[in-house]
Amino acid sequence: MPTTDFVAAQKVNRRNTLILLAVLTVLAALFGYLIGWVVQSEAGDQVAPISSFGVAAAGALALLSIGWSGLSLAFGSRMVNAMSEAREITKDDAPQLFNVVEEMSIAAGVPMPKVRIMETDALNAFATGTSTSNASIAVTRGLLNQLNRDELQGVVAHEMAHIANLDTRYMTVVVVTVGLIALIADITLRSMAWGRFGGSRGSSSDRRGGGNAILIIVLLVVAIVAPLAARAVQMAVSRQREYLADATSVQFTRNPNGLISALAKLTAAAAPFPGVSRATQHLFIVNPIQTFTARSSALMATHPDTADRIARLRNLGG
Amino acid sequence: MSLWIVVGIVVLIVLWLIMTYNGLVGSRTQAQAAWSQIDVQLKRRHDLIPNLVQVVKDAMGYEQETLTKVIQARNSAVAASAAGPAQAAPAEAALSQATRGLFALVESYPQLKANDNVKQLQEELTGTENKIAFARQFYNDSVASYNVRRQSFPAVLAAPSLGFGPMELFNMPEAEREVPKVALR
Repeated sequence: MPTTDFVAAQKVNRRNTLILLAVLTVLAALFGYLIGWVVQSEAGDQVAPISSFGVAAAGALALLSIGWSGLSLAFGSRMVNAMSEAREITKDDAPQLFNVVEEMSIAAGVPMPKVRIMETDALNAFATGTSTSNASIAVTRGLLNQLNRDELQGVVAHEMAHIANLDTRYMTVVVVTVGLIALIADITLRSMAWGRFGGSRGSSSDRRGGGNAILIIVLLVVAIVAPLAARAVQMAVSRQREYLADATSVQFTRNPNGLISALAKLTAAAAPFPGVSRATQHLFIVNPIQTFTARSSALMATHPDTADRIARLRNLGG
Repeated sequence: MSLWIVVGIVVLIVLWLIMTYNGLVGSRTQAQAAWSQIDVQLKRRHDLIPNLVQVVKDAMGYEQETLTKVIQARNSAVAASAAGPAQAAPAEAALSQATRGLFALVESYPQLKANDNVKQLQEELTGTENKIAFARQFYNDSVASYNVRRQSFPAVLAAPSLGFGPMELFNMPEAEREVPKVALR
């Protein structure tokens, strides 16, 4: 798909993200419905296709998801910055970085975000913030030392794109929904193991016959598959946002070469990133935990393969 | 019955007018904000250049032809800026050209390249040059989408009577694309 039109590329990416978010929400609601259905049939009612318990559980799960997302949006950025030890700086600490961030905020037409530095030799960067007016961009000391101005501009533009596209908000909601599905699946499986659901206690399930047993098996399968599927969807969203941010970055700088050569340097750099958490890995410009091989474009990667990202950037006219 | 149909149609038209108006105001405001950003950055460049020229002059010990040219270009850009950025565009383009000559001069003198004050001012000036370019880029993008919006159907029916005229792109003519020559004496 050799396209030089980054506006069209963004449109496609936005649509894909919407589809993925819809799939996640439907998955969570279906799961809740299934649990409610099983609980109701356990309680001795007829197994009805429209279960009132099921509808209630689906609604409750949706509400819980919204509330949890709200809390994460309110406190998430602060936690991530604290966890990554990203210290806020002023212009005197790093004038060039500060200028580059200001340039990119002008190019993106968003307010100047806070600038932060992480004191490590690893090469990486991330953005946080739930709106364009309370955002911040953090880069590592290693990145600052080893990238030239054009490369730094490419990386900062990529992070500014995450801010302008509101990726951090999207990703927070996705992460929370996935976490919720995993939690509910876990509770369901444990309940089954303890025999609260299901046919392990002979006589009671015999009375209701085979329909219920099939339902229990379906629930078991869903409880195992749903968290995996949700996680795969989360990673797919994450990869889509990375492609979109790369395309938007070029829209801002009109210079794909800066980001291309920065990505090459970031991938080649061997310096480890001590103390980085698996919980925040999806935020960074390149994944701080795994090193990249062709296999990383597999289902469970937070980031697309860097070689693939570079190839797409070259298609944008590099 | 027919009265209600008429009322309904009137309400729909009013709602559509409100939405069209708000949409146009939003994108016009964005373009105007971008415009003032260009202005801010141009002024900042006018303030920075005398400092850099002074520092370079001190480091070299004598006034060089490139420096005089930069100062001349800067002064005529300041004079032209009273009329607003659009009228000043040619003067600003000439100043960009002269600034590139100054950077090339710095590059060719190791003693200048190593000077901390020069380095710092050069970074500031590079940053400001970039900000001007990016502000112009964002302004032109905003104006382009505003113009598309006011010319699209059905907004085109209402835009002129609501007072939304066309906006102009801001083009800085690139005088010559050639690499500036530096005279080393």
